Amino acid sequence: MGGTDAKDILGLPKTPLSLAQEKRSRPQKESHRKPDGISREVAWQWLPVKSSARSDDLQLFHWVRVVNDVPPSGDYSIQQSVDVLKYTDDEYENHLTDPVWTKEETDQLFELCERFDLRFTVIADRFPLSRTLEELKDRYYSGFEPYDRTRDRERKRALSMVLSQSRHQEKKDAEILAEAHRDAFGCACKCFLKINRAAEPDVPANENIGSVSPSSNSQLPATAVAPSTLSMADYASTLASLHMLHVYLRTYGLEQMVQAASSAVGLRTIKRVDYSIKNQKVHHTVKGHMPQCRILQRIASEPFSFGAERPIKKEQKRKVIQISV
Amino acid sequence: MTSSSSSKKQAQDPPETSEPTLKSLRTKMTKSDEKKKLKDIEISVPLVYGNIASWLGKKASEYQSHKWSVYVRGATNEDISVVIKKVVFQLHSSFNNPTRVIEEPPFEVSESGWGEFEIAITLHFHSDVCDKPLSLYHHLKLYPEDESGPLTMKKPVVVEHYDEIVFPDPSESFLSRVQNHPALTFPRLPSGYNLPAPMQVDDNGKKKRGDTKDHSLGQWFTSFSEADELLQLAAARQQVQAHIAKLRRQISLLEGQNQTIKTGSDP
Repeated sequence: MGGTDAKDILGLPKTPLSLAQEKRSRPQKESHRKPDGISREVAWQWLPVKSSARSDDLQLFHWVRVVNDVPPSGDYSIQQSVDVLKYTDDEYENHLTDPVWTKEETDQLFELCERFDLRFTVIADRFPLSRTLEELKDRYYSGFEPYDRTRDRERKRALSMVLSQSRHQEKKDAEILAEAHRDAFGCACKCFLKINRAAEPDVPANENIGSVSPSSNSQLPATAVAPSTLSMADYASTLASLHMLHVYLRTYGLEQMVQAASSAVGLRTIKRVDYSIKNQKVHHTVKGHMPQCRILQRIASEPFSFGAERPIKKEQKRKVIQISV
Repeated sequence: MTSSSSSKKQAQDPPETSEPTLKSLRTKMTKSDEKKKLKDIEISVPLVYGNIASWLGKKASEYQSHKWSVYVRGATNEDISVVIKKVVFQLHSSFNNPTRVIEEPPFEVSESGWGEFEIAITLHFHSDVCDKPLSLYHHLKLYPEDESGPLTMKKPVVVEHYDEIVFPDPSESFLSRVQNHPALTFPRLPSGYNLPAPMQVDDNGKKKRGDTKDHSLGQWFTSFSEADELLQLAAARQQVQAHIAKLRRQISLLEGQNQTIKTGSDP
C-alpha cells in the first residue's frame, strides 16, 4: 500500500519498459476530484513521453492521467513540428525588402521562428534588437501574404481617429471647462444681479437658498461676493489691456472679463456654482459661441451700467493708428 | 454707488482715482473730446470658420479617404475682404506646400486626405485696419461624432465656430471706408461726428464678388441664431427654477418636521 504509492508519487520508476506494462494499482482518487456517481477508475501514471520529436535517444517521463485504462491520446511532443517558411536570397530581394527591416534582422527572425516554432513571445524575448511582438509577427506574416489594403486602411483610420480623439478630447475638455466657467459666470452674474436689484424672488444657486430675501442684499453671506462689487478699475483695466491689442477675438475678450470677475468672486463660489449647475443636469448644449458672445457681453456690462448711464472708463492714452506700411 | 475695494492697478495707464464720480467723469470727458480718437467705438466683424468634409466612398483610397474644405467666411455670408486682406492656412506638414496663402475670397482651402489635425488660420488685415495679424485654430474633422455609424457620402461632416473680430479703436479711414458695409457691425458715432471721405484700399480694384451667399457648400452652413440660443437658455433657466422650487419645498418640509420634534411630538 504505502510503498508502491510513495514510489509512484516520488516518480521512481523501476524500469522504463516495465512501467509501461505495469498493471495499474487500484484507483487513487485525488482529493480535489468530485465524486460524480459514474464509476470511473482514474489514476495517475508515470509514463514515458510518447512520440518525442527529439533526435537523440533521451527518454523522458511524465505524469499521465489515465482514465479507465486509457491514457490520453495526443502528441506530447515538446517540440511541435511546424513548417516555418523559408526564402532564398533572390526571393528576399524581390519580395521581402523592407525599409525598416534589414536582411540580417529578417534572417535572424526567421531562424528564431524555426527554432521556436513561431512562438513569438519567446522569439520576442530572444530577438537581439528590441522589437515588439506585433512587429515581429507582422514581418513574418506580411512577407508572404498579399498586401491587404482594406485592413491597413481600417487600421490607419482607427489610428488616426484614436489620435485625433485624444488630442481633440484634450481640446474639448479645455473648451468645456472654459465654457462651464463662462456659463457659470453668466448664471452667477445674473443671479447676483437680481439680489442687488432687490426686485425678484429668484434665488441664486448658492447654499442659502432659503434665507436670501430681496431685502437682504446688504447682508450677503460672507462667502458669496457679488460681482457687481467688481471695481470699476478692474473692469476698465481689462478693457484697457484689450484695447492695447488693437485687434482681438470676442471670445478672448469675454474670457478676460470673466477671469477678472472670477478673481473678485473667489474660487469657492466658482466651484459652488459649477457644482450646482452640474447637479441640475441642465441641458445646455451650445453649438456655437455666437449668441453666447452677445449675451455674455450684455451680462458682463450690466453691473457696470447699473447706476450709471454708460460704462465708466478711466482716461486712457490712445495710440493713434498710423496708416503706415 | 458700489463700494469698490482699493483698486488693483492692472492697467499701464497713469494712476487715477478709482472711484470716478459723475462730476469728475464729466471733467475727464471734456479732456478726451479734444483727442481725435474715438472712445467706446468698436467695429466688430462676425465670422464663422471651420470645415466641411465628405467621404469619398467608392473613390476613397487609403491616403485620400475624404475631401475637405477649411474656410473663414462672414457669419451672414457677406464679403469679409473689406476687412481681410489675406488668410494663411497652415496645414499639416505632410501636405504639399502646407502654407496656403489665400489672397481673395472665398478664403478657403480644399484638399483630400485621411487624417485630422489642427489648422492654424491667420487673418491678415488691410493696412488701414490693423497691421497685426490674428490667428484662429481649428481642428479638422473628417469623421462624424457617432463613431459606430457607417460612413456615408450623402451627408458631409460640418464643424463651424462663430466668433467676432473686434477692433477696439478703429482709425478714421477704416471707419469711413466700411460705413454701411453689411459684413460688419458699425458702431454708432457720436452726434455731429463727420467721417472723412473714404480712402482707396490696396486691393487693386478687384470687383469680384467676395460674399459666400451662393457658395457651393452653402447648404451645409450653420446659421448661428441668437434667438435659438436665447430659447435654449430660457429653457435651462426654467429647469433651474423648477429645481430650486423643489428644494425649497423639501426644506420647508424638513423645517416643519424639525419644529414638530422640537415641540415634542405626541405619540
